[in-house]
Amino acid sequence: MKQIITLKVNGDTHQVAVPPWHTLLEVLRDQLGLTGTKRSCGMGTCGVCTVIMDGKAILSCLTLAVECEGHEITTIEGISDEGMLNPVQKSFIENGAIQCGFCTPGIIMSAKALLDENPHPDDEQIREALSGTFCRCTGHIKTVEAVKKVSASYEKGKNDGQ
Amino acid sequence: MRLPHFEYVKPVTLEEGLKVLEQSSTKARILAGGTDLLVNMKYRVIRPEIVMGIKSLPELCIVSSGSNGSVTIGSCVTLTDLAKNSLIAENYPALRAAVTSVASKHIRNMGTIGGNVCLTTRCWYYNQSKLWRDGREVCHKAGGTVCHAIKGSTRCNAINNSDTIPVLIALNATMVLKKKGSERLIPSKEFFRDDGIRYTVLEPDEILTALLLPENNGNSNTTFIKVCSRKGLDFAWGSIAASVTGSNGTCNQVRLVLGSIASAPLILEKTSQVIIEGGLSEQSIEKAAETARSELGTLTNLFTSAGYKRDLAQVLVKRALGELQGQMKKKRRTKA
Repeated sequence: MKQIITLKVNGDTHQVAVPPWHTLLEVLRDQLGLTGTKRSCGMGTCGVCTVIMDGKAILSCLTLAVECEGHEITTIEGISDEGMLNPVQKSFIENGAIQCGFCTPGIIMSAKALLDENPHPDDEQIREALSGTFCRCTGHIKTVEAVKKVSASYEKGKNDGQ
Repeated sequence: MRLPHFEYVKPVTLEEGLKVLEQSSTKARILAGGTDLLVNMKYRVIRPEIVMGIKSLPELCIVSSGSNGSVTIGSCVTLTDLAKNSLIAENYPALRAAVTSVASKHIRNMGTIGGNVCLTTRCWYYNQSKLWRDGREVCHKAGGTVCHAIKGSTRCNAINNSDTIPVLIALNATMVLKKKGSERLIPSKEFFRDDGIRYTVLEPDEILTALLLPENNGNSNTTFIKVCSRKGLDFAWGSIAASVTGSNGTCNQVRLVLGSIASAPLILEKTSQVIIEGGLSEQSIEKAAETARSELGTLTNLFTSAGYKRDLAQVLVKRALGELQGQMKKKRRTKA
């Protein structure tokens, strides 16, 4: 009982046949090969499966693929520009906000959604935006620091083209 | 965990959706944000044959104000959109506080107000994987005859963990329930049932289409407090919404509603009476908080111990009333 749906992911249009019980996460990873988006709890508590849909950070593990038609989806693969890392990605590396790296795509996508909406968030807003994501090795101080550094670099006009 | 198999239906109009429910109400479940339903389906505690997605129905995604100052919130407005809405921020700050306290930003981006109102009741022994549940006797909610939360209990004691419900009751909101060919309006305090299994009066063939908030005429003050282990993502250990109408220390109308303590939101009538009689003085706030302890009835040890819940209720009542006292004083000062 598969349905043919059209998904817009990272600017590309894909036509895929999916059963209604497949989540966006399953389709991204298993059918489109976009394995940058990770799968962990599957229950909406860890945030590693975060993707951006229509400008908002959402959990792809709790979104049915059939409900994603007509929406713009961005995954971690879609934020780098011609092989150049996104400023958020760069900042995470420079500030040591990465350890094993499993949660990183989810946290980066959550941070990116926040910075796109509000380029100069305060501490509380950063913490709020990242509160739905879990890192079990680096901890959360460095991720918050990394987001702050990106925000500060916008101020200097360095990365405004982002 | 993967989702069980089901048929997906996406109605183009509300009418069409109501027709689907009329024909197959017992087999179908309504999907809006999915942050509650899909989790429960992965746990295999809800196994619908049909899942009907309603979040793209335009009439359910609107917040509008009526000529009499009331505000109508469509049930599929996401929590993020609701928190950003200026009508809500200006007129119902306590509701905004409750909405922004729900789970994480990700979940608020997806979850809807209707979904939060209809949030399934939760229990340690029920909201678990099938494998885990199979290790114990079948409980009331799963179709059995035992309750693991209160030994010997003849009913299900799962807890209603919605954050927005207490405020909606304190604001005296009305729920709009539609089914094929008819519509009924239910005051929010009558919408919930003290039963972990059938926790709302919503029938399987009905859709909660909207919430009506009465006009904020400036005579009442409302507040919301949530206590949980950490601000991001967690369900409440307990929450309170308090609303007081009146001025200069006298209160004509008081509504105190506790959430996340029992299967239904607890409307503290005796406690409210203490404030109506004694006003918002230090003594009567103290007395009201004491009264709240005894007004709770039987409590479970789910998520927190029964003793803690009682202590928490007392603290929440005291804090909420204290806050309202401050709000009213401030109002008086600005008026003077």
